[in-house]
Amino acid sequence: MTSLVGQGLVLVGLLICAVGAPLAFAGGRARSAAALAWSRRLALAFAGAMLAANLVMEYALITHDFSVSYVASVGSRATPLHIAIVSLWSSLEGSILFWGLVLGGFTAAVAVLQRRGHDDYLGYTLGTLFAIGLFFSFLIAGPANPFRPTPLPIPLDGPGPNPLLQNHLLMIIHPPALYLGYVGMSVPFAMAVAALLRGQLGPTWLRPLRNWLIVPTSFLTLGIMLGGWWSYEVLGWGGYWAWDPVENASFLPWLTAIAALHSAVVMQRRGTLKAWTVILIMTTFLLTILGTFLTRSGVVNSVHSFTQSPIGPLFLGFLGVALVASVVLLALRVDTLVSEPSEDAIVAREGAFLLNNLILVTIMFTVLVGTLFPIIAEAVRGVKVSVGEPFYNRMSVPAFLGLLLLMGMGPALPWGRADRATVRRALLWPLPAAAVGTALAALLFGTNGYILVTGAIAGYALWVTFDQGLRPARSRARSGEALPRALSSSVKRSPRSIGAYLVHLGVVITFVAIAISANLQSSSEAVVAPGGVLEIDEYRLVFERAAAERQPHRAVQKATVRVERDGKLLGVLEPSLNQYPTMREPIITPAVRTGLGHDLYLTLMSVDPEGRAGLRAIVTPAVAWIWIGVFIMVAGTALCLVRPRTGLATAAVGAAQTATS
Amino acid sequence: MNRTVLIVGTLITVPLLVFLALSFGKDPRAIDSPLIGKPAPAFALRDLDGQPLSLADLRGQPAVLNFWATWCQPCIVEHPVLMTAAREYAGRVRFVGIVYQDEPELIRRFQVERGAWGPALVDPDGSVAIAYGVYGAPETFFLDSTGTVRRKVTGALGRMQLASLIEELP
Amino acid sequence: MRTAAAWLLTALVAAAALGLDQPPSAARLGQPAGPPLTGAELERLTEELSSLMRCPVCQGLSVADSPTPLAAAMKNEVRELLAAGYDRQQVLDYFEQSYGEFIRLAPRAEGFNLTVWLAPAAILLLGFALILARRRASRARRPAVAEADAELEAYRERVRREVAS
Repeated sequence: MTSLVGQGLVLVGLLICAVGAPLAFAGGRARSAAALAWSRRLALAFAGAMLAANLVMEYALITHDFSVSYVASVGSRATPLHIAIVSLWSSLEGSILFWGLVLGGFTAAVAVLQRRGHDDYLGYTLGTLFAIGLFFSFLIAGPANPFRPTPLPIPLDGPGPNPLLQNHLLMIIHPPALYLGYVGMSVPFAMAVAALLRGQLGPTWLRPLRNWLIVPTSFLTLGIMLGGWWSYEVLGWGGYWAWDPVENASFLPWLTAIAALHSAVVMQRRGTLKAWTVILIMTTFLLTILGTFLTRSGVVNSVHSFTQSPIGPLFLGFLGVALVASVVLLALRVDTLVSEPSEDAIVAREGAFLLNNLILVTIMFTVLVGTLFPIIAEAVRGVKVSVGEPFYNRMSVPAFLGLLLLMGMGPALPWGRADRATVRRALLWPLPAAAVGTALAALLFGTNGYILVTGAIAGYALWVTFDQGLRPARSRARSGEALPRALSSSVKRSPRSIGAYLVHLGVVITFVAIAISANLQSSSEAVVAPGGVLEIDEYRLVFERAAAERQPHRAVQKATVRVERDGKLLGVLEPSLNQYPTMREPIITPAVRTGLGHDLYLTLMSVDPEGRAGLRAIVTPAVAWIWIGVFIMVAGTALCLVRPRTGLATAAVGAAQTATS
Repeated sequence: MNRTVLIVGTLITVPLLVFLALSFGKDPRAIDSPLIGKPAPAFALRDLDGQPLSLADLRGQPAVLNFWATWCQPCIVEHPVLMTAAREYAGRVRFVGIVYQDEPELIRRFQVERGAWGPALVDPDGSVAIAYGVYGAPETFFLDSTGTVRRKVTGALGRMQLASLIEELP
Repeated sequence: MRTAAAWLLTALVAAAALGLDQPPSAARLGQPAGPPLTGAELERLTEELSSLMRCPVCQGLSVADSPTPLAAAMKNEVRELLAAGYDRQQVLDYFEQSYGEFIRLAPRAEGFNLTVWLAPAAILLLGFALILARRRASRARRPAVAEADAELEAYRERVRREVAS
């Protein structure tokens, strides 16, 4: 019964997309208001069908309805309720169903939020979104159908979701954030396609395009960070980023999205780089599809990848169609997006933006080639090779340092052509801050080359960020406003630029934290008997005992370890080994003592028959600041979406409303 | 029509799709052993009773070298297959087990319960397993009478598969 | 003469006895190329080399990072080889002979593998050339007057005013 309802809802979604895509395209072409109105209604209906299908699946998961194949493959009576709810995205079929929900949500949001003043573009946009929706609802309805009835006899219990995914609460929020980012990239893609088909990209479309790019980029940033945090808290190796293909797959579209956000600023400001921005936006979407293909098809090696699945070839087909369609569309229509003739100075704000784009695209290509190289080498040489951390670190660290430097220099430079003296003054003025940064780095962390360089560049960038970000508030304060008031009114008047500088602040923090944590980790391991001690840095870790515990869905071996510093008891850490019935090797679950200065990370590697424990302790400085920095970035992007209190946007919207009424 | 976009786009699109399509059906996890056709790495280990056995002792006869452990489920599945084969080829092919990441008492108990098809050499620090490029268990190497590695199989062997691989040995 | 033979025999027996517990690495590696390492230097290089090797069980992580028993054994092997005086090249080669090129987390920079090492630089240079070419082209176009999009021009005028205010 549940199977039937679910399948019915998915088929309704499929039908809506099949009708909606041609209708919206034709309506857009003919500029028919009636067709557009119907496309909007269909967008809402598509979202409704997807929401209902997801709710049906949730109901089946919560009630352990094993007659639904997906529940039979990931459900289990022993699974706690919150895990049962999130197991919607713990396996392939469920995650594609969830993808459908997110896509439906975005499609409906576009239909509702851009309903005024964008009739020129909206038809094509919705048409493209329906076309994408058609592919995904086809996947859900057919090859990846999670609602298939379980063959009889219906099992009384199931294996439960992938143990790695039920091991930590971060897994509840990491995938949705990532999906909102991934799937959300369909919207700017569809809007760019609309601009190409319409043959124009004016400011009225540019503004929503930028916002619709900011939203998924923000979610993607959050999703990537939460993924790193999850892997840090769960996988037990003490790091947060391993340049694993799955991580790379989420990183690739992020890089081009960031590049597009910056080139969109130049486009808005100078009227140039239109075609380039459109290309970046389309590339971003194509990379999300490529990434999904890589992680879902099992063609690349990865800790997290889902096993070989039948939807791989279909995804490749979709990627092929999307790629070819994009290239053809771009080749045919890109020349209609005429940039304004203007001269771009290199040593100027726009030059910094160009270099920023160049570096981001280079990093993207590096990661893309690195991720695909094992496949390429096998095809060409017939030999298996690996491309991992040492390669990516060597290639990308200089590039990222360059980006950080640009982040300092760019905002300091004026737009357009400026005389040498001005440029020199702008660039030299923050140098003392670089010196302070270097000195501070040396003082706190010793003479590690990477950290000294990072300290210098970060000091420079930080100075410029504050200098520029606070400039409007300062000038208001100078003209007599009280400082807090000046601050808040400058935020209200130009939330976008203040938001952007807030993002930059988060980037500097994250960057410095990564440099410190990657270079100054220390670790120590030993097999200790009860009462024994493992020492690391200033900590004494006293192993008290190991205890076995049976939980409904797993067997747990837990070590109790007292943490002492200078003879004082700081607390107790309980790392564990979790044995799930479906897995051969136990899962190493670390215990982490997080601090603003450093983290103490303790894993239990083994427990032998005599009760001795193999312990590994890692002290990593500054890890928490990575997460803090990303939260600041996300807050900054949220601020970028706020409409300025007075001025342009309101005026433009007002004008548009008058025009439509 | 923008030719640059078309050319660059094609240059990226076509190879990308071709390589991705070619990659289907290949298991990214299977590592081909570089030892095939090369002399097997030398070892000198002791079995549970302390009796020494080295690679040199195997020369003159084809040998089946099986890396296993008591914690490994597929090894338990494979065990009866090896029992039968060792009996069948007794005197013609040497069957040698190398146990790594394991405890002698556990191995002894395993052999008492399930029988032994050949010596179980203990590789206490796993260095022989590493020399053979072992990354899982079981892994089986087929050596000809000169001590050259002819084939390597990762995962539990089936009865027929084992027989045909032994027959292939010169 | 007889004592010499007796000595030789003893030496041979001793060698055979030693050989029994000799690691399998010895036969394949030949003579150590460097000085035996100890202490902090040994640990540092062990860590460095393990981070260049892929843990074959987990497949995504390096031997240095991986918490699995096999990775621990491999790390010990690295430590022993370095302590015996084998240099970094010999150690990496030893593991490559067992596991294949797969074991190197950074592919050897030779032959076809150069693609992956050189592609980024090529893209960077190409992009830079493109930016310069664009700049030259826009300079050449400079005298031409823009037929600006009226909508856009009005918009930009407002931006200018607002920024100025």
